[in-house]
Amino acid sequence: MTLDCKGLSCPMPMMKVAKAMKDLKSGEMLEMFGTDPGTKTDLPNWCTKTGNEFMEMTDLDGGVTRMVVKKS
Amino acid sequence: MSESKEKNPLVQLFDTFFGKHWPVWVGGIVLGLLNILLFAIKSPWGASGGITNWGDNFYSLFGLFNEKGVTAISENNYGMLVLLIILGSFAGALFSKEFALRVPPKGEMIKGFLGGSLMAIGATVGIGCSIGSFFSGVPALSGGAIVFAIGLFIGVIVSLKYLLWEMEKFPGWSSGKSYNFLAAKPNKGNWQIIIGVIVLIAILLLSYSYSKDNMVMSWFIIISGLMGLISQRSRFCIVKSFRDPFMSGESEGAVGVIAGLAVSLIGFTVIKIFGIGAIGELSLRARELTWVFPHFWAKAAAGGFIFGLGMTIAGGCAVGTLWRMGEGQIKLWFSGLAMVLISPLSNKFLVPVVDNILPQSAKFRNYLPDYLGYDGAFALVLGILLLWYWFVKWNERTGRFSAF
Repeated sequence: MTLDCKGLSCPMPMMKVAKAMKDLKSGEMLEMFGTDPGTKTDLPNWCTKTGNEFMEMTDLDGGVTRMVVKKS
Repeated sequence: MSESKEKNPLVQLFDTFFGKHWPVWVGGIVLGLLNILLFAIKSPWGASGGITNWGDNFYSLFGLFNEKGVTAISENNYGMLVLLIILGSFAGALFSKEFALRVPPKGEMIKGFLGGSLMAIGATVGIGCSIGSFFSGVPALSGGAIVFAIGLFIGVIVSLKYLLWEMEKFPGWSSGKSYNFLAAKPNKGNWQIIIGVIVLIAILLLSYSYSKDNMVMSWFIIISGLMGLISQRSRFCIVKSFRDPFMSGESEGAVGVIAGLAVSLIGFTVIKIFGIGAIGELSLRARELTWVFPHFWAKAAAGGFIFGLGMTIAGGCAVGTLWRMGEGQIKLWFSGLAMVLISPLSNKFLVPVVDNILPQSAKFRNYLPDYLGYDGAFALVLGILLLWYWFVKWNERTGRFSAF
């Protein structure tokens, strides 16, 4: 599943990620594209707390960051 | 040869500050210390007064609402503080290559303006915002600040429920076209650091320009610039501290604010007990009542509640709005614009109505040491902070009250 959170600021990216993760089965991946610098800290922290696996974070052109989370 | 030996020590120092975000508790403690400095040289941190000063100056350009005369922004400590928080955050975002003009979907900009409008109403009715009436008001041992905090808490819960409902029923409101301009490319973008240096030099020159005639302003400029930079690096935000335990369950934001409040509590109490900065008996009492506003209890409760609603919809409290403006979040530009435009209107048309309705017993200065002594007031505030810390940590572990 891919989630577009570009242009959104706190708390919307985290709210959208949490909602999308509810619809995933264990082992499935969520790919998120965002532009809020805060999400780079918030999402790994949230994964640590919830037990989901933070797989990858890549900075792309245009200030966009790609993050991948695996549902526990 | 290891990488650490290859790196210039100054580059290592720069990376320590700007390579990644700071823990919020570090930001909270440093902001608490800087707040004590502001109080020592004049009066504590606040934001809504400065934002209103910007609004008053805007309307005075058209000859509106300036019957009593309007202090120029350049002569108003808090008007300049607002500008410097934005500039300090701008410098912090540039040094960390995080600056970009982030244009959100239309629905988000509308929510930004609506949230800013509610914050303006809350701050003018409640005589202070999340900074003046909470982050500074609570350590100032103001009973009204504690009521304001309860109002904030209830407003945040109601507003968070609304955001969850909106996301479920109308997800399109926070979706749509968005744009990103001037972002640094990965592993490039040193132009942002160069502009950051220019902004920093401009702040220092601005401070120096006041140093001969207005030393207080000179230091306000330096301290508020630092506050903006530190807030951006640690992503310090009051709304995060109230909201996240009930959203994601995380406690980091709350712990940061609690740390800042605890540090300020010690410093403010010392300043008040010893009357630091006071001259004579009358001035000593004025020093004790600094940042103890005549809003206990109804004005504080109503103002806190409305402000809590607004800051959650906007996604930034007063300082959270200002530092996010500095890093280029256009949604928060709309919040800031609404606060500037609506605050003078609320002061002119709404606040007099509220003041006429409420009896004096619902809008007076409640200075906790007058009732509990300094020992009792200090212990009460510290106890509330410890209880809050225990709750957010317990809730983080159990997830009892978190939505996700």
